[in-house]
Amino acid sequence: MIFLQLLISGILIGGVYALISLGLTLIFGVMRIVNFVHGDMLMVAMYFSYWFYTLYSVDNYIGLFLVVPALGLLGALMYRFVIRHAIRRSHEASILVTIGLSIVIQNAALLLWSADYRSIHNEWATRSLQWGDLRISSPLLIAFIVALVVTGILFAFLHRTYLGKAIRAASMDRFAAVLMGVHPQRIFTLSFAIGIALVGVAGALLSSVFAVHPTLGTQFLLVSFVVVVLGGLGSLRGAILGGLLIGVVETTSAYFIGSSMKQLVYLLLFIVILIVKPAGLFGKRIPEVNQ
Amino acid sequence: MMNVTTEGNKRRSAILTPTVGVGSAALFLIALPFLLQNQLYYLDTVILALLWGAAAGAWNLAGGYGGLLSLGHAAFFGIGAYTSTLLFVRLGISPWLGMLVGAVLAAILGWLIGIITLRMKGPFFGLATIAIAEVLMIVAVNWTEVTQGSQGITVPYKPGFANMAFDSKIPYYFIALVICLIPFLLARWLKQSKFGYELMAIRDNEAAAQALGIHTVRVKVGILVISSAITAVAGTFYAQYVTVIEPYHEFSFNVSIQMVLMTMIGGLGMALGPVFGSFVVTGLDTLMRDLLQGTQGGVHAMMYGTLLVLVVLFVPEGMIPWLKERFRSGKGGRSHGSVVDSGASDQTFRGPDGGG
Repeated sequence: MIFLQLLISGILIGGVYALISLGLTLIFGVMRIVNFVHGDMLMVAMYFSYWFYTLYSVDNYIGLFLVVPALGLLGALMYRFVIRHAIRRSHEASILVTIGLSIVIQNAALLLWSADYRSIHNEWATRSLQWGDLRISSPLLIAFIVALVVTGILFAFLHRTYLGKAIRAASMDRFAAVLMGVHPQRIFTLSFAIGIALVGVAGALLSSVFAVHPTLGTQFLLVSFVVVVLGGLGSLRGAILGGLLIGVVETTSAYFIGSSMKQLVYLLLFIVILIVKPAGLFGKRIPEVNQ
Repeated sequence: MMNVTTEGNKRRSAILTPTVGVGSAALFLIALPFLLQNQLYYLDTVILALLWGAAAGAWNLAGGYGGLLSLGHAAFFGIGAYTSTLLFVRLGISPWLGMLVGAVLAAILGWLIGIITLRMKGPFFGLATIAIAEVLMIVAVNWTEVTQGSQGITVPYKPGFANMAFDSKIPYYFIALVICLIPFLLARWLKQSKFGYELMAIRDNEAAAQALGIHTVRVKVGILVISSAITAVAGTFYAQYVTVIEPYHEFSFNVSIQMVLMTMIGGLGMALGPVFGSFVVTGLDTLMRDLLQGTQGGVHAMMYGTLLVLVVLFVPEGMIPWLKERFRSGKGGRSHGSVVDSGASDQTFRGPDGGG
């Protein structure tokens, strides 16, 4: 029974990890940027959600519709004014610039909102469902379902619409895509905005699960790095499977060896994957990265 | 200044012109702590700047000359700090010996990392190093019987040379100076040794270097080992000077990034780059502390982050080449566009030896 419980909890949180990682892997796939700001944007989204809830008593599931466009806009602005200029240089430059941005955002949050942990106590969402011995936390269940829906919408967008196809084309072969009339800067801005908006969805959902604080992003960034590398950098399907897998690994190891050591398990897993199969479980070899 | 063109000239001018420069620099460096004797606050800043200059200099050997963008050098720094401190506190072994042991342990870890990450390209190496530093941090936090976990360890203050603890700041200054000189001189040596040429060839074009018969594996692992050992030495000195170590600082991503940031500010792949960057950052830090007078920790870090973004975007070659360029192009040329111009032209100067 305990295994089933761990499996279900793991898959539920894994769905949220998958959602966060989808944005990260999309951004990497299209722009070849390892986005260190990703976790911090999750933190920002959670703060937005928290403030909407506290100041205007907007339920965080309704606030989602405010947080997501706000985050998408932030993403587009960040791309336009900063990231775009780093992309031209090198991997190193883009990594360092996003690290710099991450430091700025984290500390701006610290100055603006202090280091206090802030959480939403959403009445109807904090209950948990009980089936026999199985307990399922409703906010995580809702988060999982919404994550599924959003992932579905994302895939439909990427496969059915012209813009979505252009994004996929740019991530497969940027040069050829440009030759086919895809406007690279527009596609890059859009992909970055979508990537950050996905984090916005995750942030709004998670704000009723975890308390938010300025450095919350770091731990989620690490998790999503693990997920994305496990699934293969740039692979969307890989990110989903990787997210679910890491969710299960995390809950299981937290149960058996304690929550302070759970990070150790997936970090070691991460290092092993990097050594044994850096292209990830589902990834293709990316010419710029894998020689 | 010194325009070295041919091999023959190099010898002669290397003896003549720089002797005066080196001599006066040495004199200044020896006199400095005595000049600042009554301004301990500033002497403290100088010591910290030398310390971080040493760590950043060590990073620069691998990151700047070898193109190995490590984002987890805090691993080695922490090993240095923890090894000497634990040996001293638990077994009473002199920190000098602990420094050596820490350097050896870090070198072994560096060798291991080199072996296992060699196949990785692009961002994977950086991500792997982050993970390794994180793993060590978790171990240091959870292995409470030995490390006292997140509580940290205080180095007991027993002044004496054998304990690397002193009443005055001046001995600390000289130790920091020597530690800072190690990566500096090594960087200078890289510029004129076979090993250095091979290393920079690998950085600039690995496939071509391999085709020329360079044993790329051996060279890359070699520089990583050297870099990690020196970083650990800086870590030991940090523990002895600051006297408090804690896993959330010593093994932190921030420490890793600090080394990268300082090097980027001064100039990547330049001997003086990290030291210059360290003095800029540490100096600014002191200045900010003076101005703010408070516990506004966030402001410092925001400054670091902003600086990192601005430097990478606008002066990717670092401030030393940029300043040189400005002075050379005449004091009159103060057009706004010159920032971008000099950045662009520096890139063309960047030959096989990375400029400077």
